[in-house]
Amino acid sequence: MPAGRTVEGTMLGKLDWSAIPFEQPIPLIAGGVVLVGILAVLIWVVVKGHLPYLWHEWITSVDHKRIGVMYILLASVMLLRGGSDAIMMRIQQAIAYQSQGYLPPEHYNQIFSAHGTIMIFFVAMPFVIGLMNLIVPLQLGVRDVAFPTLNSVGFWLTATGALLVNLSLVIGEFARTGWLAFPPLSELSYSPGVGVDYYAWSLQISGVGTLVAGVNLVTTVLKLRTKGMNYLRMPMFCWTTLASNLLIVAAFPILTATLAMLLLDRYLGFHFFTNEAGGNVMMFMNLIWAWGHPEVYILVLPAFGIFSEVVSTFSGKALFGYRSMVLATMAICVIAFMVWLHHFFTMGAGPDVNAIFGIASMIIAVPTGVKIYNWLFTMYGGRIRFTTPMLWAVGFMVTFIIGGLTGVLVAVPPADFMLHNSMFLVAHFHNVIIGGVLFGAFAGFEYWFPKAFGFRLDERWGKLAFWFTFTGFYVTFVPLYVAGMLGMTRRLQHYDVAEWRPWMIVAAIGMAVLSIGVICQIMQLVVSIRNREALRDRTGDPWDGRSLEWATSSPPPVFNFAFHPDVRGEDAYWDMKLSAQQQSLDHEEPEYHDIEMPRNSPTGFVCAFFATIMGFALIWHIWWMVILGGIGAFATFVVFAWRDHDEYVIPAAEVAAIDRVNLEERRNLVSMAGAI
Amino acid sequence: MSDQTHMNGEHDIAPGDEEQHSVGERIVGYVVGLGLALLLTATSFFIAGTDLVWQPSIPVALIVLAIAQMGVHLVFFLHITTGPDNTNNVLALAFGLLVVFLVVGGTVWIMGHLNQNMPPMDQFIRMHS
Amino acid sequence: MAMTATIGRAHADPHHIGLVVEHPGPAPKRTVTAYGFWVFLLSDIVMFSCFFAAYAVLVSQTADGPKGSEIFEQRNVAIETVCLLLSSFTCGMASIAADVRNRFWFYLGMAVTCLLGVIFLVIEFREFADLVSRGYGPSRSAFLTAFFSLVGCHGLHVSAGVLWLLTMMAQVFAKGFRADVLRRMMCFALFWHALDIIWVGVFSVVYLLGSGV
Ligand code: HEM
Ligand SMILES: [Cu+2]
Repeated sequence: MPAGRTVEGTMLGKLDWSAIPFEQPIPLIAGGVVLVGILAVLIWVVVKGHLPYLWHEWITSVDHKRIGVMYILLASVMLLRGGSDAIMMRIQQAIAYQSQGYLPPEHYNQIFSAHGTIMIFFVAMPFVIGLMNLIVPLQLGVRDVAFPTLNSVGFWLTATGALLVNLSLVIGEFARTGWLAFPPLSELSYSPGVGVDYYAWSLQISGVGTLVAGVNLVTTVLKLRTKGMNYLRMPMFCWTTLASNLLIVAAFPILTATLAMLLLDRYLGFHFFTNEAGGNVMMFMNLIWAWGHPEVYILVLPAFGIFSEVVSTFSGKALFGYRSMVLATMAICVIAFMVWLHHFFTMGAGPDVNAIFGIASMIIAVPTGVKIYNWLFTMYGGRIRFTTPMLWAVGFMVTFIIGGLTGVLVAVPPADFMLHNSMFLVAHFHNVIIGGVLFGAFAGFEYWFPKAFGFRLDERWGKLAFWFTFTGFYVTFVPLYVAGMLGMTRRLQHYDVAEWRPWMIVAAIGMAVLSIGVICQIMQLVVSIRNREALRDRTGDPWDGRSLEWATSSPPPVFNFAFHPDVRGEDAYWDMKLSAQQQSLDHEEPEYHDIEMPRNSPTGFVCAFFATIMGFALIWHIWWMVILGGIGAFATFVVFAWRDHDEYVIPAAEVAAIDRVNLEERRNLVSMAGAI
Repeated sequence: MSDQTHMNGEHDIAPGDEEQHSVGERIVGYVVGLGLALLLTATSFFIAGTDLVWQPSIPVALIVLAIAQMGVHLVFFLHITTGPDNTNNVLALAFGLLVVFLVVGGTVWIMGHLNQNMPPMDQFIRMHS
Repeated sequence: MAMTATIGRAHADPHHIGLVVEHPGPAPKRTVTAYGFWVFLLSDIVMFSCFFAAYAVLVSQTADGPKGSEIFEQRNVAIETVCLLLSSFTCGMASIAADVRNRFWFYLGMAVTCLLGVIFLVIEFREFADLVSRGYGPSRSAFLTAFFSLVGCHGLHVSAGVLWLLTMMAQVFAKGFRADVLRRMMCFALFWHALDIIWVGVFSVVYLLGSGV
């Protein structure tokens, strides 16, 4: 080896030109296109002089609404990336009958691993966390979350994780192990490349971000509620946020610990999960699922909350069985930790262990059923408006029941011995995650978009998007149930069984329909932005809502509320509207006060910058860079701690000016409603 | 604190904060905590090394002593009490402990059964060679 | 229905029967910060519980290497324990001093806490170095893997605590007992005491119970 190579090799760890996958055109071209796109956007931003605006209003913002929007933006972009992976896999399985298809095995394996990782960690998670961030403080009637700056840190660390995963497209490779990187395959002896390291470090970094978000939201719900907002007056979405974030706080450290063990095995020759020296691979399954099952409820609980809000608003009724809903939510929060073994029934824990976890898994379906009934009874006798969010909610109910039922089916150990790791299982979890989480996220997106941006989304394109997605979902995933019953296992790069073929083709057609749904959703956004003046929401209450987020303008001022609202019951804003109508309107001008708000801070962005450097260096074993990144991160924290002024004051006059406009619109609204 | 103040909807105190006490009382609290902790630690070390007690009881005794000492720390150092102004702090703790219990207990139970039915690779090889 | 809203319980009254405890509004900042940190600590403890679980599973997997009873030195562990217990006490003293804004006792309490923490770390480091030099490093067996990880994870936390402690002293020195500095001091105290609780688990499970295996 020439001397120059060696020096380069040591300076840059494992990194050299062979890391760029010149021989694999697809990822390279895809990565190149994305890179050019990002560069183009950056250049456009700089040339047009938007950089200061971006920096001051978004990147360094600690406003929970802005951070929420950025989370959702991240999730949407990643949804396109994960969706492309899905399209590639469906095409491969449609054509790879008695042939190699067009994706070689090592590439196909990376795609399904990246697809799962991205969809769970960088689509579903940021989407629901974004919606919670955006809405929960508004619903609680407060001005911000408990820890605004940390909130920003959490978002940027999540973005770092997403960046690293996507970087693996052009520099190096991604894991070929599936989205949970089971050992011994993920151990160094079987996966010597950097793929698993990309996987593990991006999840470690974004996991810290998620933990921060969880701590922040738990504290916000428990400690920051406006006057009179007793626990049993909180909107359902706040309850499910609480439950979901309690699960984050309790479950994500398990993921962190498990991945840390895997990394120790890979980097320092430890023996947690190796085949040699007494390591135990089964312990990995055990630990990762102790996080993994709570994780699915972390995702779906916020969706349940969104549906509760949507169903009650568009049925024009208070939520049926509010207290049973609260109870069911908290029950799920606890039982979610008692069922994890159902993911490895087949590993051989024996009949008694399997039976107990099987029964626990069926029990968790009970509170879920309670919720379904409550939504149905909320709709029963209501004046239902089938707006786009409501369509997603109804579509969810139908779809989720099927997914839940197949879940109970695979929770029966003897049945699971047949269905485990088959396409049936793949259909089950897509059924609950798409039909539950994604439909929920879309419902929340449509429902709260006017609140975030001040104009509604186009209903026609929205409904089209729903119907294409809904149909596309069934056409894609019902065939997978069938293929599973026919014995097809998951993650096949090619196959020789003729009976599976037609179903794979149907599934690929379904994928095309789903893609049309996505295009409709993009069109909806474009059309709505173009027609935003016509769609403008001047009242702040476009849907005739019931909870406090509708009591302020759309978009809300930085401080959300000029006064902390005083809550007297459930459906706080509904009560206010009713009493305002009865008492006519008091036209007295209230006395405004100065408001203190947290100051913007680049801490999150700078932290993420160093985390990216450190993560990249760790993946490629570039030790000096690791140390540099570590020192940078520590210095950032000290500088943050050293700040003297972390708040600024909005003078009373400014608050008054902003609030007067809002009040005026609102008076018009109420007097109009009174006239009707 | 009395129920009276709670009726008015007072907040919980911060975890780690004590209800109003003089400095002297607070120091005494720490001294008592330290004394109890040292006593329990000494007992643990003594029991672990002694032949005077029935051997099979030692693990149980050690675990009981450890839990007791954790309780002492929680009450005297972290000031987590059962007072009405501590509800939220205690609830959070209870949830955390439940999860710890489920994860540790569940893992030991599950892995015990798995090891029995599916011994780890090296044992497996030893058994079959 | 009315039964659910009894006097003295902070529950709402959706049916407007009057016996309601009104929520007083957002909590003071000190409570919010400390509570958030408390929640974080609980999550940290859950993380430790995974390493405890791994230790329990792997403790007998010595791969023909040494067993716990062959490498643990009770005397060292006892000294380490006493260091940490005393440091918890001195940390408590520093907290009280901070609350009454007494600089001298604050610095003294923190300095002693720091010293005890460093002694603990030195003893632990020497134990580790000694084991590695005898060929009993973490890659020797799954048992040693679990041992090093669990004890080392606690040690890393203590090291982070010492760094934090020093920045706390610097903050008091530069900014005095400001409200935000006091809030951080409170979080630091929670952190330090929590590490002590975890150490109780470590010496009981790893060193004392582990010697019996
Ligand atoms: C009604 C309650 C549910 C039950 C009883 C249930 C049951 C199960 C069972 C037994 C498995 C393992 C099957 C196997 O591997 O052979 C499984 C897998 C899975 N479930 Fe569910 N489930 C339920 C709800 C959900 C929900 C709500 C979600 C997500 C929002 C979800 C997501 C998943 C995922 C992601 C997997 C598979 C992960 C993998 O192996 O890669 N499930 N479910
Ligand atoms: Cu599960």
